[in-house]
Amino acid sequence: MTNSMNEVINNVKNIASQVVINEIDEREIKLELNEKEVINVLSYLKGNGFSHLSLMTVVDWIAENKFEIVYILFSWETGNKIIVSTKIDRKEAKFVTIKHLWPTARFYEREIHEFFGIEFKGNDDMKPLFLEIWDDIPPLRKDFDPLEYSKKKFPDREYEKDVIHEAKIIRGDING
Amino acid sequence: MDERGIWEKIADKLRSKSLWMLHYCTGCGAMELPPTMTSRFDMERFGMGPMATPRQADILFITGYLNTKTLRRVIYTYEKMADPKYVIGFGSCTLNGGIYYDSYGTINKLDYYLPVDLYIAGCMPRPEALLEAFNELMRMIRNGEANGWKKYKENYEWYKNNQLRSLGEVYVHDEFHE
Repeated sequence: MTNSMNEVINNVKNIASQVVINEIDEREIKLELNEKEVINVLSYLKGNGFSHLSLMTVVDWIAENKFEIVYILFSWETGNKIIVSTKIDRKEAKFVTIKHLWPTARFYEREIHEFFGIEFKGNDDMKPLFLEIWDDIPPLRKDFDPLEYSKKKFPDREYEKDVIHEAKIIRGDING
Repeated sequence: MDERGIWEKIADKLRSKSLWMLHYCTGCGAMELPPTMTSRFDMERFGMGPMATPRQADILFITGYLNTKTLRRVIYTYEKMADPKYVIGFGSCTLNGGIYYDSYGTINKLDYYLPVDLYIAGCMPRPEALLEAFNELMRMIRNGEANGWKKYKENYEWYKNNQLRSLGEVYVHDEFHE
């Protein structure tokens, strides 16, 4: 790991009481944090080089009954990447917005609200972003069954088996 | 098959010689159109060309997968086109959903929503298959077999009910349509 990365990690350890650090690569690291300390850590990282929010997304851990919210931050000065993640309760899917830190997060949060059904306190713009007239549970949750939904909404074609044709292919009369 | 008059036969002959296809590409199959248009395969030697607006176009290509979101716009576009109009379903997605058969957003069977005159199977069909389909479509127009636009008028209720079942409502709500 690079020196600049070590310095950042030591400071994060001072800010956050609980932090699990996974080294993925020389320039890439994952921090798993407590739900309440994420915003502090994010605002510290933003002020110390990691000014670019590459991605904000969610992983659905249905067996654990948790949603993992993932922020990927990038530093243009050192080229380091930090993945900040936290797990929230799946039943009460609520979290706070980071719109005040990164204005682009507004659209990530809209998308997450649409596809996972997580509400973000402080972000009042929760209009659907991609789906139109959606009438089921959010489609990227693991308990959503896309095949069943697809069968209900978009009926499949029913094929009739042509036995004579297949028999001709087997006998060699025509090329299959 | 209804009997065509002599003028209708002449008109069909002329129609098959001048086809303008709408430049509205819905999926990955649209990638096969540029090589078909440009010098190697040169679509224009058959009297076909791309057209930018639906009101002047004859052919609507549905190239590849079609979302519910896109389908609303496609239905708008199809209904704007002047008669006679022809629809070609391109690739396996329009036939049965292809690799997206279990997706929540991709429709599985195009001819439930729009009358399809001709399907090109495969993922993806090559430009040769496309030219073959054009020739077949021209033959169908000359023989008066490509009358999907008539079927759409006759069975409008059935098509509309299918559209409503899959889309909720066909009306487009966004900042450009309100």
